[in-house]
Amino acid sequence: MDSNQTLTIDEFNLSIENIIKISNDILDGWTLHVNKENDNGKYITKKSTISIEEPGKGNPITLTYEHHVVFSLSYSVPMICFNVWKADGSVLSMEEYLNINQNFDDSNMYNTITQLDHPVLCRPFLTLHPCKTQEIIEPFLSTSKNPVISWLTVVSSYVHLKILEEYIKHC
Amino acid sequence: MANNLTYVQLSSCVNPSFWNKLTELKLNVDKLDEASRNIWGYFTNLNKDCVNSILEVDSTSYNENFNDQKLYIPFHGKILNKNTIEQFKECNKTDLINLEGKTLLESIKNGEVIKDPSLLNVFSILCFADLKKYHYYYWFSFPVLKDVIIEKGEEIFLSNKFTTENIYKLYNDFSALTANQKSYFIVEYASDELKLHKLEDKLNYITFENHTQYYFAFYNISSNNIPGSQLRNYVALILHYCPFLEEETQNFIAFILSREGSKVTCKDSTVFELKLPKADHGQNWVGWEKNERDKMGPKLANMKNTLDPNKLADDAVDLNLKLMKWRIMPNIDLEIVKNSKCLLLGSGTLGCSVARTLLAWGVRIITFVDNSTVSFSNPVRQSLFTFQDSVDMKPKSKAAADNLKKIFPGVIATGHQLNIPMPGHSVGESMLEQVRENVKKLDNLIEENDIIFLLMDSRESRWLPTLLGSHHNKIVINAALGFDTYLVMRHGTFNENLTETHSTCPEGFRTISGNRLGCYFCNDITAPGNSMKDRTLDQQCTVTRPGVSQIAGALAVELAVSVLQHSQRNSAPAFYQITNKAAELGCEIENQCVLGLIPHTVRGFLSSFNQVLPATEKFKQCVACSTTVVEEYRKNGFEFLLQVFNSSKFLEDLTGLSEMFKETECVDVWDLSDDEDE
Repeated sequence: MDSNQTLTIDEFNLSIENIIKISNDILDGWTLHVNKENDNGKYITKKSTISIEEPGKGNPITLTYEHHVVFSLSYSVPMICFNVWKADGSVLSMEEYLNINQNFDDSNMYNTITQLDHPVLCRPFLTLHPCKTQEIIEPFLSTSKNPVISWLTVVSSYVHLKILEEYIKHC
Repeated sequence: MANNLTYVQLSSCVNPSFWNKLTELKLNVDKLDEASRNIWGYFTNLNKDCVNSILEVDSTSYNENFNDQKLYIPFHGKILNKNTIEQFKECNKTDLINLEGKTLLESIKNGEVIKDPSLLNVFSILCFADLKKYHYYYWFSFPVLKDVIIEKGEEIFLSNKFTTENIYKLYNDFSALTANQKSYFIVEYASDELKLHKLEDKLNYITFENHTQYYFAFYNISSNNIPGSQLRNYVALILHYCPFLEEETQNFIAFILSREGSKVTCKDSTVFELKLPKADHGQNWVGWEKNERDKMGPKLANMKNTLDPNKLADDAVDLNLKLMKWRIMPNIDLEIVKNSKCLLLGSGTLGCSVARTLLAWGVRIITFVDNSTVSFSNPVRQSLFTFQDSVDMKPKSKAAADNLKKIFPGVIATGHQLNIPMPGHSVGESMLEQVRENVKKLDNLIEENDIIFLLMDSRESRWLPTLLGSHHNKIVINAALGFDTYLVMRHGTFNENLTETHSTCPEGFRTISGNRLGCYFCNDITAPGNSMKDRTLDQQCTVTRPGVSQIAGALAVELAVSVLQHSQRNSAPAFYQITNKAAELGCEIENQCVLGLIPHTVRGFLSSFNQVLPATEKFKQCVACSTTVVEEYRKNGFEFLLQVFNSSKFLEDLTGLSEMFKETECVDVWDLSDDEDE
């Protein structure tokens, strides 16, 4: 693997620990989770709640996103998994999610957002399919101090995740 | 001082993990105990993306200690989970909230609140969990005093009243507080400096003479400058300890966090001048949350999609198939596959393999038929059985159905222990009723199902289902095994009109329309039996290379699914190559349906790892699917079958095969005599 450099799990762990450190400084709400039974057991999560107009009905609804940044051993890339639920706790199905998401047009939404099992929790989550992640992250591997942050700044807007400018100073 | 103060109400926001944990506690710890549990609620006003002020509860709400993550202030909650929906409905909501309020007033009086100001922020959940359906009926209340009327005077942003340095220092002092002290505190302005004090350190030092230099600060239950209704509880506390403030004007700070760039600041907080009421607020409490229809009433969370493992499996199976539709094949019709009822005649190696592949295609209704029990040799080859099934001598059809449900509870699988009557197997007097019943049962099963798989281990047992399949015009898929060979085919549709419907066909190919395609028995007679490759498949059925049944079972299902994708279903024509030219030209028939080609027959030979796709026509005098035989069954029913069971010769007479054999002999004779003439 000389030409196709990939992110190692150690680099991933360093990157997310760095994210936690920044987040703690600015109260951004990222939490570190460690599952000791897994080699790729470290991941970080963050919840954010937004108000959105229900498509077709126009009334405001409250949605909570829970984003997970976790390492995929099979693709050797970070993955962004997320679930979205309404105020009563019921989780949106993939169709419901795509229905309210404005960032994708019909032609490619299924190629971009998909449902996969979370690499650590082994439960279905919505995710940006990791097959294109290597392409995005590769240029950052040699140039960024924190490739995970650099990658997140590219993809976060597709999944309603806000990355504050403080993080960008660290990559 | 003109306007009475208006308030923002809290909204509840439940995380799925809250219901998950509640279920776990109810099932494993509380059981029938209805005592209430203390829980934590999480609040922050730093989030500006949500128009509501939301109080969050999640699985950590049940923890003993509050985890503030430096971001949240605590709400002290109680969950009262009722055992029945009736108890939930009958619960007196007014009494309940007044009782909560009474407790709160007591903790104001006894000074607990002074030590832990977060106790002023309370909530409770009245709940009933229907754990069979994963439905959660719930109603939040955020108790606040009812009769506290506060008049609003001037309001001004903190940043317009104090210097940036002062505000910066105030935020730093605030950050240093523990979570429970962040809810309510006192800010003193003296000698151009803002100082933050805990309630317990300063409240007793405030007097009528010095109160104007103090600000009663509260972490606002709202991210804008309208105070949360919890302010009324705070005022009750203040009036209890500072009665001299009755009907006086007092400064408050609605403390709000916001971001300046990435950094957190409190500069958007608001300073209010409020005129406090008399301390005669009474004992009435309000705060039940309105539901989504804006009515006073409980909410219902349907968590089946998230918490019911059966539903999760059901959705995951379909999703996996939908990915095929979304990513590779937008035009595939998955619903028709899912809704097809499949009858599997024979529950051995082929039956198991077919059932598992059907399951993978999302088929939900699978019926097994077999007449034997699981033997010790079965489990290693027959993928649905276990050693224990052989010890228990379970009927194969039943064991297959049970185990299929263990693999996927969403499948409706049933097993029928049934002997399929066979031609030439005479029926004695004593067996007559049993056989009649078996025929009736088989006839019903075939009529009820959409696809009939013939997966038995003998040729004779396929006769009756082939006939019944033609009679009911079902999709019949037949799989048969040799030692290292397999045959998988679809039977032609039954149609008295045998005219060829013409379909275009590339050079080098010929086509046979679906109504003219043969059945297992047509082919068996017409097919040449002269090569090692084409040796009779079913005669050595039990001695096969183990992989053969897996291949044939999988092919049988794939053939059925391809047939379902064609607009003409089983009437889809079959193509076969008539010259090698097709191969030379590189011609291929591959776009019959979205999945590609729909062959009539797949014959495979493991000795050479080779597979061919012949197509053969219906044989007019076929003993199983010809018009004569089907019409005879329609006319004489069981009586006709009985004659066949008692003598298979009857069939040859009926179809004219016997006659044909005679004629063939005559032709031979005439041929010879012709020769003699020459």
